[in-house]
Order: sequence, then structure tokens, then C-alpha cells
Amino acid sequence: MAFQIELDGAAHEVEILALRPLKLLIDGRECVVTAPDGGEDGRQRIEIDGKPFSFARAHVGARQILRLDGRTLEARLIDPRDAIDAAGAGHDHVRAPMPGTIVHVHKQPGETVSRGEALVTIESMKLQMTLNAPRDGIIASLTRGVGETFDKDEIVAELEPLDGV
Amino acid sequence: MTGRLYPFAKVLIANRGEIACRIARTLRERGIGVVAVHHAVERHAAHVRAADEAVELVGDTPVAAHLDIKQIVSAALATGAQAIHPGYGFLSENARFAAAVKEAGLVFIGPDPETIRLMGDKISARNFASAQGVPVAPSVMATGDLEAFRAEAAAIGFPLLIKAAAGGGGKGMCIVRSAADLAEAVRRAASEAQRYFGDGRIYAETYVERPRHIEVQVAGDGEGRAIHLFERECSVQRRFQKIVEEAPAASLAPALRDQICGEAVRLASASRYSNLGTVEFILGEDGRFFFLEMNTRLQVEHPVTEMIAGLDLVGLQLDIAAGFGLGLSQSDVRIKGHAIEVRVCAEDPERDFLPETGVVSALAVPSAPYLRFENALELGQKVTADFDPMLAKLVAHGANREQAIERLIAALRELTLLGVKTNIDYLARVIAHPAFRHADLHTGFVKEHAATLQAQPLPAELRIAALAAAATGFREFRDLAFGAPEPYASIGPWRN
Repeated sequence: MAFQIELDGAAHEVEILALRPLKLLIDGRECVVTAPDGGEDGRQRIEIDGKPFSFARAHVGARQILRLDGRTLEARLIDPRDAIDAAGAGHDHVRAPMPGTIVHVHKQPGETVSRGEALVTIESMKLQMTLNAPRDGIIASLTRGVGETFDKDEIVAELEPLDGV
Repeated sequence: MTGRLYPFAKVLIANRGEIACRIARTLRERGIGVVAVHHAVERHAAHVRAADEAVELVGDTPVAAHLDIKQIVSAALATGAQAIHPGYGFLSENARFAAAVKEAGLVFIGPDPETIRLMGDKISARNFASAQGVPVAPSVMATGDLEAFRAEAAAIGFPLLIKAAAGGGGKGMCIVRSAADLAEAVRRAASEAQRYFGDGRIYAETYVERPRHIEVQVAGDGEGRAIHLFERECSVQRRFQKIVEEAPAASLAPALRDQICGEAVRLASASRYSNLGTVEFILGEDGRFFFLEMNTRLQVEHPVTEMIAGLDLVGLQLDIAAGFGLGLSQSDVRIKGHAIEVRVCAEDPERDFLPETGVVSALAVPSAPYLRFENALELGQKVTADFDPMLAKLVAHGANREQAIERLIAALRELTLLGVKTNIDYLARVIAHPAFRHADLHTGFVKEHAATLQAQPLPAELRIAALAAAATGFREFRDLAFGAPEPYASIGPWRN
């Protein structure tokens, strides 16, 4: 059984070759892995071909944050279906890059915008930032009004789909 | 001056987070009671538990609660606190707050309201500094007519720095390099100034290329006697906010150091400054330096000064507020070694340092006599967008700068704070960067070295270990590898 794992944005493959002892094929390299931990958060230890590595782990939703050798790394299991979703997304949504509040709305639904034009100004932790149109188009909807809050990655504006696409 | 009887047996700390915990530490050491204030969302926060008693403040937002002068003064009176320490940020440089504290018959641990007002307004502070002969950069103030302002600003010559008169922390501030960009910059600065400070006044001044941020810690007794506790260099900044601070400034010629510190003392003395303050300067490559502003409060980066001077600055604040005077003369203050502080922030350096939120789900802190980790963190703590993204400060002292750097790099490698994205790895790369090691510093350091400050790819061996570690943390993998339900468990070695 092979698992696709995304580590800091790049895809890697981890395949189970044998159990007891656990033998893995990681990015094409065979190794025997001893993992005394129960997969939980906190400081952990793992041995790769007898060589010990100490690391710390935290689960954040479906992701894992690892701290290894002074590096902080993010890992998640890749679901093959993800790729299909991503391909169909296009540039119809504007997502919030950080959690915060809408402080100003520059354009209203129905208005035409050009790529790069300001849609809304948001604020988080005293930091203001303008979210711009990802492409030319017409605003279909704004999901939040002035003073309303949103989470990171939430859609704050939608553009009408392009004709003929 | 421990052992002396303070005129306040109990002090209310009008702040939160690491600085409230740090102030509480000195108060306890000196046998003074500690009162904390907090919003409902912080009921179980570390700064509340560090206090003897706590008062909950009501506010639409947590920040609004911490800015409520009336409630905070009432809390002090209700708990019998005789003094208020404002920390930094929030109401620390609010003259109305200092005045309200005084009017309530309480001691404000900081300068008097008049000095806060004088220094809090960049224009009046500059004028005052200039009148004392302290060098200030050529500038022009917007008096309402933005068109006229643009013309006058352009006449100074580019590059220009546009700033909010009442501002701080880089809010409402931008660099303009050509006349074409001036109009938009002026409009934006004025609007941000109005939004953040309720005061739309702005001004423009000569922008010094590759400037270094040098600031001097001063202490005054309110009678005109003032000393300096040497300088700090805070040139490494992002979004106009400091992320690395050190004391003393690296490679500052002794004569120039004396000159800059001397100007700061002159300013403090002339304003009959009482308590601790920081006089900020920008220093050009040509050795010219200009007064920037004076911060009339304890500074975030005060620990680096404490470490090289062997002093407790909060203790010194208490002594001065108690009327004990400075208790030391200029010749008593000596530099011992070098100290560097980094600000650990909940932010993503790869996405222009945008704030991040999360839950602290793993925390391991390095410990050594030469390290300080100033924080109010705990496992399970939510990091929200309610407050400033600074989570903690890590400070290392060394016999010299090289040793302080090595110790800080080692400490940053060891520091583990997971569950919210932080700049810890980034800070380690800054400190280890050749330009930082060579003290080739200026406030554009972060931008100039953006490419070489990026994370390097993981060495193969670590990548394999990280992937194995990650795999064993996913339930889907564990079920197969360890939990191996029948019939797989009996199959033995297999391949699909």
C-alpha cells in the first residue's frame, strides 16, 4: 500500500513493504522504521535503519506539523481526488489569506472589475490588506459586509463564471 | 533597591501577555502585590494566574477592554492597588490615561502626562528635540491642504518617508521614491492615520537610505538628572516592525556611540524626564543620525539592555516611580558582553509575514542561564486575531556578539512551538545569515536578503526521517502499519 504525502508543498511517496519489522519504501529508498510513539502530539522518537531522530509533532486538522532538526515542516496525506478539485477551481473565488474583518468594500455585486482591482479591504491583528480581483470579470457576490468577520481561506468574493468556459 | 519600602504595596498591571508576566515577576521579587486585568476571553490566561488577584474588564473586543481607562482605574481603586504599570502598547503612551491615574490618587509607573503628550506627538517631539539641538531630519507637516503638502514634500527631495503624526509601529507609514507615487501615498497615510490613531495628521521627511535603527535607553529622575543605559540596534524589521534587537549596537564606533547616547541624555534631561524611556534614531551609512521619536515607556526589547547592563529595568521603573531616584550614576552602567533578542510571532514569513492563528499544541522551551524566554504561552492556548501576533521573545547573552549568535541559533533550533505557524525557523535563518553575522545591517535587511533568507531544501536523510515520522502520525497509515487488522496481520511481508 502506497501513501502520497505532501511535505512542505512537495509530493512524496511512502510505501509499506513489510510489517514487523516495518519496512518502508520512501521516495524510492528502502528503510526499516521503528516508531515507538502512538502517533500523538508532543516530543517523539523514530529510528530509520537504526539511526534515531527526535522530533515533535502536532496535528492541526488533517495536517501534521513536525519539528525535526530545528526545522518546522508541514505534512498531509494527499487524496487523489484533491487533484481533480484543484483543476476545476479556476479563478472564480477570492479567499481570505488570513482571518479578520472586512473594513471596506470597494466594489458591489454586478460591477465589472479588472484583474488586480481592489475588491475589499480586510484587517487582521491591526494589519490592513486589500484583496484584488484574480481576473477580469463581474462580481457575482460578496459573502461578507463591512464589520463582518471570516476565517482564513474563507471565500469573501465570487466572480461570475466566464462565458464559454 | 530591594529592601526599601515602596509607597505602593500593590500594583495593577494594565496589560497582558508576556509583558504582564514579566512585570509581575519583579513585583513579586520586591514583595509587591500584583493585580491583573483581563477580558473574558483571557480568564485563564498566564498573566491572570501570575497575579494575586484579577479584575475582568468588559469590552466589545478584548483590545477595547484593555483600552478602557475608566474601568482600569476603577479596578485599581477597587482592589486597593496604589500604582499602575502600563507595560508597552495599549495605554502605555496615553497621556489621558497617565493623567487619570494621577487624578485618582494613584502612582503612574512611567513619565508624567505632559511628557507623554509632548513625546507622543511626533511633531511636538521633533520640535522639542530640534530646539535642544538634537539632530532631526528635514521634514514638512500636512496642515490640511494635501495638495500644498505634496508640493512642499516634493521640495524636500526624494526618497521621502510619509508618517502619521500620532503614529507608531509602522502604521500609516510609507516610503515614496518619486513624485508619481506621492499622491496615493499621502492619501493612504492620511486615511490610515485617521483609522488607527483617530488623528489624520501626517508629515513627510527625508528618507535615509539603508538606515540603521539605533535607540538609546534612558532613565530620568524627573528633576533633570538623566543617564543612558547604552543603545540597542533594532535594524532587522519587517513591515516596519522590529523582529531582532541587540545590545550594544554591532560595530558602532565608540565616539559615535558616545555622541548618540549623549544626545539622548540631553533630550531626557531637558524634558526633565521621569522614569524609563527610549530615544530612537536613524543612523545613515555616512554616520549622520537623526532623532526619530521617543517612546515614553518600557520597550518590548528591554531584556537585551538588562542582560548587558545587569539591571532589572522594571525594578528601576518602580524605584523611580517610588521617588527613590535613579540609584546609580552614569559610570555605574557598564556593558557586559552582548545580547540579542528575537520576537517569535504567529505569522507566515513565506506569505509576507501575514498573521496566523491556531492552537499551541506542542511547546518545548530551551533553558540555560544565558537565555531568557519571555512568554505567556501554554499548551492548548488559542492564538487568535484579537491581539498582536507576537507570541514570545527569546533572548541570548554571550561574552561577545559571536557567542550570543551561536547561543541564539542553538536555542532557536531547540525551541518547539507547534499548532500555529510561527517565524521561528525564519528567525534562525536571519541570525545565521552571513550579513547578520557581519553586522551589515539596515532596516531593509529583510527585503534585501529575501532570497537567501528562504528555507533551503531538506537534506535527503532528514527528508526520509520526516516522511517516516509524518506517515506514522496518520491514522490511515497506522491502521495498516501497526494496528494491522485481520486478515492483513497474518499475511506477513507483502507488497501490493
